[in-house]
Amino acid sequence: MSSVPAASGPTPPTRVVSPWNPANAVTASRFLCLPPFAWAVMNGYHQWATLFILICGLLDKVDGLVAKVFDCRSAFGEMFDAIADGLCYGFCLILIAAYGWAPVFPVVMIIVMGIVNSGMRGIYAKRAGRTVNYKSYAMERLVGYTAYLIGFATGGMEVEFFYWAFVPLMLITLLHDAKRMLFDAVPGASM
Amino acid sequence: MTTELVSHDAFRWFLTLITGVVAGAWGIVDLVRLIGLRGADTTDPLVRDKRFGYLIGIVIGVVGVVGSLRFQNVL
Repeated sequence: MSSVPAASGPTPPTRVVSPWNPANAVTASRFLCLPPFAWAVMNGYHQWATLFILICGLLDKVDGLVAKVFDCRSAFGEMFDAIADGLCYGFCLILIAAYGWAPVFPVVMIIVMGIVNSGMRGIYAKRAGRTVNYKSYAMERLVGYTAYLIGFATGGMEVEFFYWAFVPLMLITLLHDAKRMLFDAVPGASM
Repeated sequence: MTTELVSHDAFRWFLTLITGVVAGAWGIVDLVRLIGLRGADTTDPLVRDKRFGYLIGIVIGVVGVVGSLRFQNVL
């Protein structure tokens, strides 16, 4: 069981949210898009691959909405959503690069920067002393762009242009977020 | 099962619209949000993060629109 994050020190009882809730179910269902996506890429079905990544991206939007409707937002849910983003998009990027649908070098850079970002989020959670997902407005937008990147590759849409445009944006955002996650004071930290 | 869901032209236009319209709208919304933050307390880390995020959103919007126009051989 996980609970809504609380500030440091003695705190009043917080509402406990089970991880087995509708929002997390929607998040988990995104993984179901991966096998058909892999099947489509392996068979060269560009439109089917685009459809499955579109469904995966839409489910990413729906889970937040479901969490609001069923009032089941939790720190675990936010972390699970970020992990699902990384696994789904990371898997798809590797697959399309392996099949020559996307340029390898930008994909490698994107994945490396994604891993570095995840590591910094882990350090941030440790500094905060609780399960917390670092909120970055810029990175939220780049995650949306990442979903589109996969769609650009499956659709053969200006692939080189969109992939190379993404790399500097991701690098600048990573440096910006690194300062906040690693050096700036953490609100409500227990350290 | 067919290998194509729609015709090549329909697919091409679908990609153009879903990218160009969303990117354009996204850029405009973030521009409005950024303008709305004028005069906000810049010493607040949350405000600074929002400003940076909206700026990145505007750039992504421009990239999306330019990419869509290139895809349609307009640029």
